[in-house]
Amino acid sequence: MKSIFLIDDDPIFVYLTRRIIASINCPCQINEFTDGELALSHLSQIGDQVELLPDVIFLDLSMPVMDGWEFLKEYSALKPKLKKDIALFIVSSSISPQEVERSKSYRAVTDFLIKPVEKGKIVEIMDNVKV
Amino acid sequence: MIPFLHKLISKKYRPKKGEDSRTKSEEPDHTLLMEQLDRQKAFYENILNKLPTDIAVFDSDHRYLFVNPGAISNEEYRKFIIGKDDYEYAAYRNRPASVADKRRAKFLEAKNSGKEIRWEDTLPDPKGNMITHLRRMYPVYDEHGELSMVIGFGIDITERKKMEETQAELVKQLSAQNRQLTDFCSIVSHNLRAPLVNVSMLTDFIESTDDPVEQKLLVSKLRPVIDNLHATFNELVESIQIRQDLEIKREDVCLDDCLQRTIDGLQTEINKLGATIETDFKEISVINYPPQYLNSIIHNLVSNSLKYHHPGRSPMICIKTQKEGEKVILSVKDNGLGIDLVKHRENFFKIGKVFHRHPNAKGFGLYMTKTQVEAMGGRIWVESVPDEGSVFYIEFDNRIKKAS
Repeated sequence: MKSIFLIDDDPIFVYLTRRIIASINCPCQINEFTDGELALSHLSQIGDQVELLPDVIFLDLSMPVMDGWEFLKEYSALKPKLKKDIALFIVSSSISPQEVERSKSYRAVTDFLIKPVEKGKIVEIMDNVKV
Repeated sequence: MIPFLHKLISKKYRPKKGEDSRTKSEEPDHTLLMEQLDRQKAFYENILNKLPTDIAVFDSDHRYLFVNPGAISNEEYRKFIIGKDDYEYAAYRNRPASVADKRRAKFLEAKNSGKEIRWEDTLPDPKGNMITHLRRMYPVYDEHGELSMVIGFGIDITERKKMEETQAELVKQLSAQNRQLTDFCSIVSHNLRAPLVNVSMLTDFIESTDDPVEQKLLVSKLRPVIDNLHATFNELVESIQIRQDLEIKREDVCLDDCLQRTIDGLQTEINKLGATIETDFKEISVINYPPQYLNSIIHNLVSNSLKYHHPGRSPMICIKTQKEGEKVILSVKDNGLGIDLVKHRENFFKIGKVFHRHPNAKGFGLYMTKTQVEAMGGRIWVESVPDEGSVFYIEFDNRIKKAS
């Protein structure tokens, strides 16, 4: 089973994303985190347990306590210790080209997706996950 | 008459050693020569006196050898100053010696460096208008390399200075506006576009299902998104209005009345949490400020203190005013959750910044408060210890005016 971490404080968006994933017939385990700090502390706890680490992270930028950018900074430092190659997608409602540009400075970022994310894109991402 | 010129010229024409200075037989020629010299002196003097700049010439001890009417228009003063220094002149004109101190420092700078120096100098004229001069001073040496005099002159650059200041102010305003525009774009994409995306996705799902139960569930999810969109939109409009209300009217606002409005508005919350609100407006009880801003500032700070209360204790909020010189400091202290300032100092008042996991936190409140404070020339800052509480300080840049 594939595993996804959804880091987003917007319950509606999380609900909708869950629905999309459910509709593509791809059996997945989805873990939700409402801000960067919660996700980060969980990741650092399970860093050496390959079976618990996600295959894909969907990361929102605008969140309370620790936003997406702050998360990326900490995550980049943590990544070498994680025993799995995780694909990380920024999923933001931002349409600012500066933010897209800024995301390129993080090697941990696979791609920058602008909300709403097409079903087809999610299918593509999940297909790329090798189980 | 220009004494120093006379001195220089007479020096030059002084008979050399060995020559007989008492040859009275050449008297007629000498007179002719002196007449010519006087004419020449008058010619140069006229030029110096008519030049529209300030000119002053000093000896090597900073005593005046010459000033032109551009520098001192009053003939009596102009006569007085010859042979004197700035300290004597300041005493004569009942001016503070500090002016003379400054000029002495500049003189010594020119004398000791042996180079021309330049500086800008702003002083009030007799009518009290501030006049700025660009001043230059340079040492002049004789053929033996001895300092013979220091020439100083100044041009009135008040107009140019004013223009520069206006421009600097404009640049400041423009960059502030540009920053606001960037902020605005970020709110639009994060706070407005996000719920719009949700609405459009929910609608897609509603359209793609025939199951009425499913449709009902999806429609019920639309409501909070639309409410959120409304709230965000209203706050945005409010924040834009602050920018446009540049001419907003100040009034004397009684702090007790202002706080009472806030307490009335938040009464349910206050009762529920068992919050205590203490005030100390002994020093200052009235602030001259736009009433709607002051209401909004106090409401925001108090409601933040309630919203981010510590779960282990009842909220205690202490609001106090203090006079500091011409300024007034309003402080709002609480015993709430506090904020980690080491992590968040830089973007503390930034729009969209939220520090706690709270369902209704959007990161607009403090941004708005800061805008309302700064629009009226004030400052806001915070002190906080996580788990102990926060103190917000606001410095109002206005003097307390007595109702006139």
